[in-house]
Amino acid sequence: MRYIFNFPDIGEGLEEGTIVEWYVTKGQKINSGDSLLKMDTDKVVTDIPSPKSGTIAAIYGKVGETVRVGTALVEIEIEGVSGAEAVKEAQKDSSVEVIEEKGAAVVGTIEVAGSRARLPASDEGMSEKINEIDKPIKKILATPVARALAKEMRIDINKVTGTGPAGRVMKEDIYAYLQNSLNIIKTAKINIADERVEIKPLTQIRKSIARNVSLSKHNAAHMTVFDEVEISDLIREREKYKEKFIAKGVKLSYLPFIIKATTLALKTHKILNAQLDIDNNQIIYKNYYNIGIAVDTDEGLIVPVIRDADDLTIFELAQKINEMSEKARKRELNLEELKDGTFTITNYGSIGGQFSVPIINFPQVGILGVGRIMKKPIVKNDAIVIGNILPLSISVDHRIVDGAETTRFVNQIMDYLTDPVSFIMD
Amino acid sequence: MNYDVIIIGSGPAGYVAAIRAGQVGLKTAIIEKDKVGGMCLNWGCIPSKSVIESAKLYKKIKHEASSFGITGFDEKNIGFDWNRSVKRADSIVKKLTAGINFLFKKNGVELIIGTAKIISENTVWVDNRLIEAKNIIIATGSDQEKIHSSLPDNLIVEISQLFKDRQIPGNIVVLGQNTVAIELVQFFNLIEKNVTLLVPGKKIMPMADNYLSEYVKNLLLKSGIKIIFDVDPDLKNFEYTEGNLVSGEIKTPCEMLINSRTRKGIIPESDININVENGFIVTDEHLRTNIPSIFAIGDVNGKSYFAHIASAEGLHVINYIKGVEEKINFKKYPLNMYTVPEVAQIGYTENEIKENGTDYKVSEFSLSANGKAMTEGDNIGFGRLLSDNKYGEVLGVQIVAPHATDMIAEAAAFMQVESTVYDVAKTVHAHPTISEIFMEAGLEAVDKAIHK
Repeated sequence: MRYIFNFPDIGEGLEEGTIVEWYVTKGQKINSGDSLLKMDTDKVVTDIPSPKSGTIAAIYGKVGETVRVGTALVEIEIEGVSGAEAVKEAQKDSSVEVIEEKGAAVVGTIEVAGSRARLPASDEGMSEKINEIDKPIKKILATPVARALAKEMRIDINKVTGTGPAGRVMKEDIYAYLQNSLNIIKTAKINIADERVEIKPLTQIRKSIARNVSLSKHNAAHMTVFDEVEISDLIREREKYKEKFIAKGVKLSYLPFIIKATTLALKTHKILNAQLDIDNNQIIYKNYYNIGIAVDTDEGLIVPVIRDADDLTIFELAQKINEMSEKARKRELNLEELKDGTFTITNYGSIGGQFSVPIINFPQVGILGVGRIMKKPIVKNDAIVIGNILPLSISVDHRIVDGAETTRFVNQIMDYLTDPVSFIMD
Repeated sequence: MNYDVIIIGSGPAGYVAAIRAGQVGLKTAIIEKDKVGGMCLNWGCIPSKSVIESAKLYKKIKHEASSFGITGFDEKNIGFDWNRSVKRADSIVKKLTAGINFLFKKNGVELIIGTAKIISENTVWVDNRLIEAKNIIIATGSDQEKIHSSLPDNLIVEISQLFKDRQIPGNIVVLGQNTVAIELVQFFNLIEKNVTLLVPGKKIMPMADNYLSEYVKNLLLKSGIKIIFDVDPDLKNFEYTEGNLVSGEIKTPCEMLINSRTRKGIIPESDININVENGFIVTDEHLRTNIPSIFAIGDVNGKSYFAHIASAEGLHVINYIKGVEEKINFKKYPLNMYTVPEVAQIGYTENEIKENGTDYKVSEFSLSANGKAMTEGDNIGFGRLLSDNKYGEVLGVQIVAPHATDMIAEAAAFMQVESTVYDVAKTVHAHPTISEIFMEAGLEAVDKAIHK
């Protein structure tokens, strides 16, 4: 019986590859493990081995052609196994042989080139095959908004159960599917009459936070880099200007300096001020620097946006921060003041925290977490002295930003914060 | 006698539920104490729309017919006969109620005339006998609260008594803050009466979008209707002297005061305790009362005062009894007002969208450039489309235009299938039609309207 071998997901997050060379021809007998072809992906050039023994019945794709993960490469005539069994067997194989890809724990993933490991057939291809056997593909009834949502959240609409008329997939069904798949709402059976529990409806802010953070975790590949920076000079400068600012009615915190340093660093590392447009295979770089600042309010987190933060002076930034946080707490922000952020800064240091793994404000690419300044012993000129240490945590979307670039970005921010005069030099 | 369902009240909630119950094979009885069809058919929607049509035709003949090219009549002799317009309404009502009686018979629904009293969760006393059913549906409707004042009784007319043979005086006052009150003041204005609207609040239509409400208020003021806001709903500060309602400095000529104030549920007599709050029966999302076998649909549950919503609630409950669980989304039902021009709204108002924190857009297209509206001689109005910026979903639609009450059905369909502004813009509308304003508003939302 025929077995269709699809271009497998080889686990590097790759979506396509270019055929360099075919090692087999139609009618050739092969054993499982024999190399079928050489494939060039943008990370590795690798041989793709056959998962089955049999005779090559058909070959898809010419040398030089680009093929996507999940599309058919060859058809193999397998002896003595019927079609459905072949598919089942292949599935069993894949469950045993899946090469697990652990998330990159090291900054800058180490790539393994030319791996000869035996690759399993793609799961994706298998489940499609099963579906073909189980039920004919039919047109899915879904509303335009549900389709747009599913597309954005990268949800396969075929898997969503529709609750609208005639089983039409509605907007709410997509949200329900997303929540189920993320298990954010585990509806354990709680007895409403139980006096030990209290039930409160979700506020609009809470709902929107829940939706946004799920969306971010569901879509972006989070990676976080931590570092510490010594800022004694900055502390001195701030002390100097604090009173002057207060005389003008503005409270000066460290945040304006951090925003300034961030916008300057973003101008060098523009990828951190970008957005991934995966549907069109492109990255959108933004030549404006709108910095979101996370504000803790009674009802939950609100992120007002400081527009064109790079054009503002330290005084103007301090003024803006005072104004925005005040407005956020009073719920007086308008939509314009919440829209179009390009990068976000969250300052939990003001509450006392040190390090965190902040969740990216999707579809932005990065978020900088700022901790509490602490006095710590440091080594300066081979002597132990008291240093003022500011902890930084930055999360990025590893789909488009790598560890090395993130580290360079953090280094630049730290350079600015160590030497406050450098702000006006660049 | 045993039934599957007993329905109390045969208005648009009860009679639709009864017909549907019969269609799906439930053994059904419906109890009516007065007239089949309830308020909507007998003294609400149908008679009022019928006399409004008379008034519109009167105005058209008197003020516009000659410019349309009609000759052979003397404009000075054109008059309006209230009693004949009511007679015409009566004949329409008779046809419709006969239709309902026919549908009851066709679907095996038993009609019992009498006043129902609920005895237990499964039994009802009516017409000197006890009948029993698995489920009881209360569909008894609502009634205006009385005006508790010291004004002379013969001055006040309840809406249920209005559409009858009577002399219509020159000075009319309507008390109310709803579409019915607005329709009535405009009707009397069309037949050239001196009309005042007393509003117990700050807005003439609290359910409508502010923009719509303001627009309609200005239309009314422009046509010479006086509006007094913030009156006491019981008119406590008003006295009646020498043909005038007097409150402090304000003197309002009044020979007939029509009560269209807030409605309250008509709660049937019951031996068991059915929860009532603020004058309405309390129901859950499937319109169940605190008694699992008893439902309440239509005005009596206080969720809405519209006949079409009452009917939809009736269908929902019968489905629910048959094991089909659906959600009711009150945002997908239109709100209609039969003024000149007509007014209709569906979905979320601009305020509600703002409160939800949605990033939205308003796309408006005026009727002033619409060819069909011009040929009809009535091109005052607009179509207004509210959509979210992320997916372009249509969140709300408001129309002021001739036939707005029919056109809103298109918006309802758009919303039922969660359409986007792209769908609206791409739906080709025939020319010339007033409905072209939809396409234009859709194009405006996507990019730019053509004729703007």
